[in-house]
Amino acid sequence: MAEDSIYERLKQQGVTRRDFLKLCGAVAGAIGLSGLPPVQASGLPVTLARSGYKARDQVARVLETKSRLPVIWLEFQDCAGCTEALSRSHSPTLVNLVLNAITVEYHETLSAAAGFQAEGAKHNAMEKYAGQYVLVVEGSIPMALDGAYCTIGGRSALDILKESAAGAAAIIATGNCAAFGGLPKAKPNPTDAKGVWEIVTDKPVVNIPGCPAIPEVFTAVVAHFLVFGALPELDSLNRPKTFYGKTIHDRCLRRPFYEAGKFALSYDDEGAKEGWCLYKLGCKGPTTYNACASLKWDGGLSFPIQAGHPCLGCSEPGFWDGGGFYQGQSAPLSRPDLTVVGAAAAAGAVAGVAVGAANQAQKKAAKKAEKAK
Amino acid sequence: MNWTEILAFTRGPLFQVALVIFVAGMLYRLVRVLMLGWQKDKVPAKGSKAVGVVKSFLKGLLIFPFIPWVKRTFTKNPVIYLAGGLFHLSLFVVLILGAAHMLVWKSLLGFGWWTLPLPIVDWMAAVGIVAMVALFINRLFNPVLKLLTGPAEWLNLAFVFLPMVSGYMLTHHLFFRYEVMFSIHMLTVDFLLIWIPLSRISHFMFYFFSRAIHGQEFGKRAVNP
Repeated sequence: MAEDSIYERLKQQGVTRRDFLKLCGAVAGAIGLSGLPPVQASGLPVTLARSGYKARDQVARVLETKSRLPVIWLEFQDCAGCTEALSRSHSPTLVNLVLNAITVEYHETLSAAAGFQAEGAKHNAMEKYAGQYVLVVEGSIPMALDGAYCTIGGRSALDILKESAAGAAAIIATGNCAAFGGLPKAKPNPTDAKGVWEIVTDKPVVNIPGCPAIPEVFTAVVAHFLVFGALPELDSLNRPKTFYGKTIHDRCLRRPFYEAGKFALSYDDEGAKEGWCLYKLGCKGPTTYNACASLKWDGGLSFPIQAGHPCLGCSEPGFWDGGGFYQGQSAPLSRPDLTVVGAAAAAGAVAGVAVGAANQAQKKAAKKAEKAK
Repeated sequence: MNWTEILAFTRGPLFQVALVIFVAGMLYRLVRVLMLGWQKDKVPAKGSKAVGVVKSFLKGLLIFPFIPWVKRTFTKNPVIYLAGGLFHLSLFVVLILGAAHMLVWKSLLGFGWWTLPLPIVDWMAAVGIVAMVALFINRLFNPVLKLLTGPAEWLNLAFVFLPMVSGYMLTHHLFFRYEVMFSIHMLTVDFLLIWIPLSRISHFMFYFFSRAIHGQEFGKRAVNP
């Protein structure tokens, strides 16, 4: 079926050429193409921009020629928070564009259809767009009891994921649950929850962890796939480098206070009121790779640290078990059990007494032997 | 296994095991030394032993570091005296007054304290590393030290040096990603904790005993039998 191009569709909705090119520029910026001042400042190749290359035009060319990207969105052990974040995103231009540029064929939270109809629509889409659609997964996949902990339409999440992944062009795991197991995987992990990339190994999986994932990052990955037909450059945890290349700490607005040794010690002390560093209140910024500190939330309004709360490290694997949220980052994950330490100390002392007593006895015997001589 | 998991392991189970071994080992060493026994003092003392002990500590900590030239240990071996002194001062500042380390103490002890600003701690860490290098070179070329140095001494140097360098690289985000350096730092710290009871680094505890014994000898003013 020859669908209209994205630009055609936008035109029908009354988007002018000028607005369209503005949107293209925004998309190019979001996916980190050169040609925009902030991107140049970040040290990406400027030569491209100098030689008359305009990233905006490249995006425009694609949006003018390509039709919308089919997306199938699966939800497993999740809270739909990533969907909420994306659908209520406060940066409407970008998100609207991407939502215009994709066609969501199946989404349990957003679709009007339900039951067998919805499942049928999904299967139709999977057949029609085999090898072309982008599979988005939200939520972790339970492996225990053959996946009985999460079933949809009578089938296990594992089953559904494998079936949908087979025909996908690329897979996006949005949120910490889909990426690394998230909350369901927290100890003791009763459902044996796993992230998508631990299960699907034969397809490109891009992880967009976060709790929830930053909507702009999701839209940028989709835009990148749309423009280049490929996923962006990924780090060792399959996260897009553009957004997960730096730690929160590196870009934090409270960083100067860290360097100066000015820390808030509670949530209502003088330091907290002055906006000092939250490191001592347990901020996980130094080991957390995400774009919160630069992109921020609600259209660049704020992010947790700016609002006075330490970073929880929600874009890192196993962040629920990464030590107390309000315990210093550098502290050991947990305090050793006092009885264990006590037992160890006692064992050491007893061993010392035993060896010492043996030595003393030996010494005495030797002295006696010398006297007897 | 990714670096986040390695970090969780070195900060979690491995650190606990290392800490338990450290506590057990140090208690063993302490009991062994205590059971060597005190020699009975059969000579009546003219002075006070307790005063001697107090004086000895005060002199060692508050007076001699500021007028080192009166001591022969300084004039004979200025490198060891200066580098050694600065090294220990650096250890104290970084381990006790550094914010990151204070949080470790806080998590273990349950209470925290005031810390120094990062740049000061940072400079002290650099001083410690430079001092360590100076001591290393000194040990390489000093003819007397050469005779005294065996594998255990080299291992001591390595085990202490690695956490210092990895910690410095960690705070400055040098060469590797933060969690990689953090993992390496924690790994070297864990090894150090296990190594301390087995080695002469345990002098951090026995130093106070030897100083006390010397102090009472100075203080009692009597003829030694």
